[in-house]
Amino acid sequence: MTDAGKFPNDWLEIQRKYWESWTDLSRKATGAAAPTANPWEAGLDHWWQAVSPAAPELARDFMAKIMDQGKAFFALADGYTKNLGAMPGAGMGTGAGDGWAALSRTLEDMQKAFTGGLQGGDEASRRLMAFWELPYDNWQRLVSSMSLVPGDALRNMPHKHLNQALSAPGLGYTREEQAQYQDLMRRGIEYQQALQEYLQFFSGLGTKAVGRMRDFMEAQEKPVESARALYDSWVGCCEQVYAEEVKTAEYARISGRLINAQMAVKQRMAIMVDEALGAMNMPTRSELRTLQDRLQETRREYKSLRHEVEALKRQLGNGGPRPALVRTTATPPAPTPAAAKKAPAARKVTPKPAPSK
Amino acid sequence: MFTIDIRPDKLSEELLDYSRKLGQGMENLMNAGNIDTGVTPRDAVYREDKLVLYRYQTPAGVTPKPVPLLIVYALVNRPYMTDIQENRSTIKGLLATGQDVYLIDWGYPDQADRALTLDDYINGYIDRCVEHIREAHGIGQINILGICQGGAFSLCYSSLHPDKVKNLVTMVTPVDFKTPDNLLSAWVQNVDIDLAVDTMGNIPGELLNWTFLSLKPFSLTGQKYVNMVDVLGDPEQVKNFLRMEKWIFDSPDQAGETFRQFIKDFYQRNGFIEGGVEIGGQEVALKNVTCPILNIYALQDHLVPPDASRALKGRTGSKDYTELAFPGGHIGIYVSGKAQKEVTPAIGNWLNERS
Repeated sequence: MTDAGKFPNDWLEIQRKYWESWTDLSRKATGAAAPTANPWEAGLDHWWQAVSPAAPELARDFMAKIMDQGKAFFALADGYTKNLGAMPGAGMGTGAGDGWAALSRTLEDMQKAFTGGLQGGDEASRRLMAFWELPYDNWQRLVSSMSLVPGDALRNMPHKHLNQALSAPGLGYTREEQAQYQDLMRRGIEYQQALQEYLQFFSGLGTKAVGRMRDFMEAQEKPVESARALYDSWVGCCEQVYAEEVKTAEYARISGRLINAQMAVKQRMAIMVDEALGAMNMPTRSELRTLQDRLQETRREYKSLRHEVEALKRQLGNGGPRPALVRTTATPPAPTPAAAKKAPAARKVTPKPAPSK
Repeated sequence: MFTIDIRPDKLSEELLDYSRKLGQGMENLMNAGNIDTGVTPRDAVYREDKLVLYRYQTPAGVTPKPVPLLIVYALVNRPYMTDIQENRSTIKGLLATGQDVYLIDWGYPDQADRALTLDDYINGYIDRCVEHIREAHGIGQINILGICQGGAFSLCYSSLHPDKVKNLVTMVTPVDFKTPDNLLSAWVQNVDIDLAVDTMGNIPGELLNWTFLSLKPFSLTGQKYVNMVDVLGDPEQVKNFLRMEKWIFDSPDQAGETFRQFIKDFYQRNGFIEGGVEIGGQEVALKNVTCPILNIYALQDHLVPPDASRALKGRTGSKDYTELAFPGGHIGIYVSGKAQKEVTPAIGNWLNERS
């Protein structure tokens, strides 16, 4: 914790110097841009790499998310401030002209970045563009969590010229096996196409969000006074555009196709793994499932029969203590003396008082 | 025409302030330690497979009412949401109104539970918990409070076993699964559920998380963490936030066959409205639910839109139907300060008038 305790101070000091120098330059109204090397990301990343192994797991994941999103927030401020600094007469006044022009330039940069027109792009625009990759990022994490390999291994699977090869029927003794591999490849290609369609769907939305942001800002009556307000407006616009698009039947089809394609790949792989296990004389998932189904069916019948037996006992009014219901590992409840003595048919409302603290 | 009045010095100050809060908050995060969940003392009174039935201890000075209350939570996420922290606990609030509270904890199903069906959950697990409580209290009927999917289960149960339910409270419970604003439902229409269940066996909690986060990805996976920096300086608030964060991502896998049946019968075929749902060989019909019903929904619920819940009105056989609209979201209805003041006492009073 010693390093962890010291580093934030160093990092804050660097941050302070950076923003002070940026402010000075802006005030001098030279039109000079702010210092180009923002130590925010590099410094934070460096510090985080040093201390994160010592952090509790939940805090580690959580902090990583805060930092990721903090970068998006800073990117917007960074893009805006750099454009503001580059304006003629920058920093001299506080009028709308400076701010609006800087925001317009920032939005233009973002628009170019989204459409691929910003060659190389600056870091701020790239970050904001990455913001629109959140839906895919979430998907990638999901696929990764369901797979042995990290990330979405199928995304970049080479498949050029495969279609022709896949159309050729298998031959000879291993014909069935060849057919299985061909089917796996076909499903992999279908997944890639579904993913491509999914990504394509989102690619246009970033541009729409920029347009929405412009409209939103123009409609505001109160001045925007902080970077956070700017960021919140950006999130709001993104969310609005997203919500409009994902409620369409088109998106439902695209996301359904993506999930189905992913499942189809996994299904084929599972069958092939089962066959390999079978060849090694090991139990397969398919066999286990059959056993699970049969066992559950038996348990269901057993429980039902037991229930019926108890009901019959009650009908017969044998008056004895009722046998426990299915309590395989149960902590026996403490029945009220009144309840234990009385036949169920003669039950009345005599609750056991709940234990007090 | 708008103006942007972000002066360089103010901006610099703002960003520096953000960095400062983040740096200072690190220590609180590092020292957060284990995140505890569930605050009210309770006793495990019945176990079966992975299920545990808990009975919460009545606070000193409160006399419990004669009819106990069973909380049936959803299979999605974990039930400690209802008792997440000292000052935000639905359970605590209910106990304070004199309810004798039981809660079903479903546990974490694994592949051995894949073959569990809705029949096993509703006519099996829930019914045996009800039996246990009836026996322990020596009474014929109990009160049930169903939450979200657990509310749908409770409606099914009340339809199939009307003689065992005295009063039914449904909270943020979907009834009409095909209202136009139900995004989850729209998305699932094109998903091949059979393929998913046949392939995966159980449905991973991560898949559900992805779906829920996809409803508002920028707010739920982006903005939330930027805003969090504002409270990083307060160790207690950090813990509260981490508790919620834990809950959100603490998603049990779903028993495959139950998932298959629930999605197909309700999300795809809208079974409560269209009919045709059979559980354990018996038809589920809302008309069979004749007990008094309190239906609570959240006006800003993005998971179960208000109309999806309000659809219960006029569809049951109950002559005593009450609605309560809460101005908040799907989670806020349990954990917000407003909910503690409005929702929980309202449930307690409603039950006390009828028990």
